[in-house]
Amino acid sequence: MKWRLVPGWSAALILVTEFTFFALLLAPRSGGPHTFANAANVALILKYSSIYGIGAIGAAMVIGAGGIDLAPGAVIALASVLTGHLFIIEGWPLWAACSLGLAIGFVTGGLAALLIVGARLPPFIATLGVMGIARGAAFLITEGRFYDLSQRLPAGTAPLGLPLSAWPGAVMLVFAAVFQFVMVRTAVGRHILATGGNEVAARYAGVHVGRVKAFVYITGGALAALSGVVLGVVQGQGKADLATGYELDIIAAAVVGGASLSGGRASVVGAVIGSLIFGVLRNALAQIPGGTFADRFILGVAVLVIVVMDRMATREAT
Amino acid sequence: MILDYGLRIADCERAAGALVLAAVLAGGCSKSSDQPHTLRFAFIPKAVHIPVFNYARIGAERAAKQMGGVEIIWRGPESTDEIRQKELLESFIAQHVDGIAISCLNGDLLTDAIDRAVDAGIPVVTWDSDAPGSKRQAFYGVNDIEAGRALGDGLAKLLNNRGRVAIITSLGADNLQKRLDGAKDVLKTYPDIQIVEVFDVRDDAVRVAEVIASAAQRYPDLDGWLSVGGWPVFVRNALDPVDSARTKVVAFDTIPPAPDLLRAGKVQLLVGQKYFGWGEESVKLLKRIIGGERPTQPYQYSGMDVVTRDNLDAYLQQWQRWERGQ
Repeated sequence: MKWRLVPGWSAALILVTEFTFFALLLAPRSGGPHTFANAANVALILKYSSIYGIGAIGAAMVIGAGGIDLAPGAVIALASVLTGHLFIIEGWPLWAACSLGLAIGFVTGGLAALLIVGARLPPFIATLGVMGIARGAAFLITEGRFYDLSQRLPAGTAPLGLPLSAWPGAVMLVFAAVFQFVMVRTAVGRHILATGGNEVAARYAGVHVGRVKAFVYITGGALAALSGVVLGVVQGQGKADLATGYELDIIAAAVVGGASLSGGRASVVGAVIGSLIFGVLRNALAQIPGGTFADRFILGVAVLVIVVMDRMATREAT
Repeated sequence: MILDYGLRIADCERAAGALVLAAVLAGGCSKSSDQPHTLRFAFIPKAVHIPVFNYARIGAERAAKQMGGVEIIWRGPESTDEIRQKELLESFIAQHVDGIAISCLNGDLLTDAIDRAVDAGIPVVTWDSDAPGSKRQAFYGVNDIEAGRALGDGLAKLLNNRGRVAIITSLGADNLQKRLDGAKDVLKTYPDIQIVEVFDVRDDAVRVAEVIASAAQRYPDLDGWLSVGGWPVFVRNALDPVDSARTKVVAFDTIPPAPDLLRAGKVQLLVGQKYFGWGEESVKLLKRIIGGERPTQPYQYSGMDVVTRDNLDAYLQQWQRWERGQ
């Protein structure tokens, strides 16, 4: 291979190929509107992929710094529950409830950072604990109930003129752009990848490794909470069992997007594209009769195939 | 760490996966090209792993075959993931299928999407679990409040109107909540019956075994179990920690292996639903709505079957007739 593949670019190529493949496969035989390649369906893919995608932005940075975060699914649920509780039970204004929902992500991320940087726990164990605490807190707050945010959100609510259903996608794209800039154009981004690549060398080179780690876990927590707040408001519910198991899909999206679990390599845009690859797959498989039982299997295979392809392409290029 | 393990098994999985993918995709192609004018009905169960729903699928596919010109797309979340179920529902709206039949994990969460489907001209019926606040044209299933009352009354009779009772449910679904309300309302009318606890098993047959085992430790003098779903009777050993000489069990659902447990005396009363009917009747309702006939009454109650050891044989004969589609 002559050209140099940057992490995330192969994911973009796969996304385009995948979309084209399903657009051709699902093209209507007898005329009529296309059931897959239409604007409403693309908007839908964007809306649901962003639940994972917003979290995957943080996951890419955590993984790039050589860590792992198992808490995002639970933090999504906790943020949705907290926002719902403050908005519905306490009667707070929406912006205030959302702000505190978001703040809980800084708390859970801060706790993870404290355990990993301060107590030197392995990230897997530390974030496993945070995951349990966040999910447990969500159940303690709700006691099995759920908060119906939609009862205080009149139909046609459009904050800043943007309809609610367009918000998740917009938030994902904006934050992907922001953190892509951070990762590629700033010293912070270089320090994150340096820490993940070789922690000792990074330390000798003057990188404040502890600060870098704290930054990625806190940012990761905040982004997961953002995903939860958006989910709660857009779907109209705060519920303790939302997003169960999503942490693995979020990690998978980041890995498919070019992040290496051994650290030192990650792409924020790639992670978002990774979540879109899964979103397209989930959406398209729903249109194929009999596909329902093959769904998870195909997703699992897709992760492996994409990662192997990505590794082979980048290995040949370097 | 996870990835390293994944890569080692990558080769065999990839090969097998490619075959499955190819087969699935090939199936999709041939079906859509052979029958260009078929009506496409999307059936969305609460989750594809819950055993009762397989009978609904059989019923739906059988009715579609008998009617002709109808294709069933059976599609549900892999686990009871409400957001995933809503994503599926919305993807069927974007595809503009000809009809949607759904058993709602969480009716409130789905209401705005169901309304959007109906506004877009896609008829929606709910089955098994309703979204009562939505614009769906019909609901087919048991009258859940009545079913809950039948469970409560049945247990009270078995206990001679006195004793300590524990209840099993899964929080969140409209149908289970109604059954719970019905059962609690009835039990309240018996002054000597006390509900010690309501357990949430989250639609999980493993969790239910754990709950029953730990409750057997905590409440050794428990007189009765009432389950508003079939979880304790979907597996053979969940009720093993229960002393059947002392503690009576009533549970929803009659699918195998529940009849065996009834015969063995592990459970004393079951309330069965019209499992095949969920599929058959939903297909018929959608077809009628498309034909311009709107049901005069949204609640199409299916009736229920109260099964005890006395009428078990007759019920099993009836079950065989249902399986054959008679």
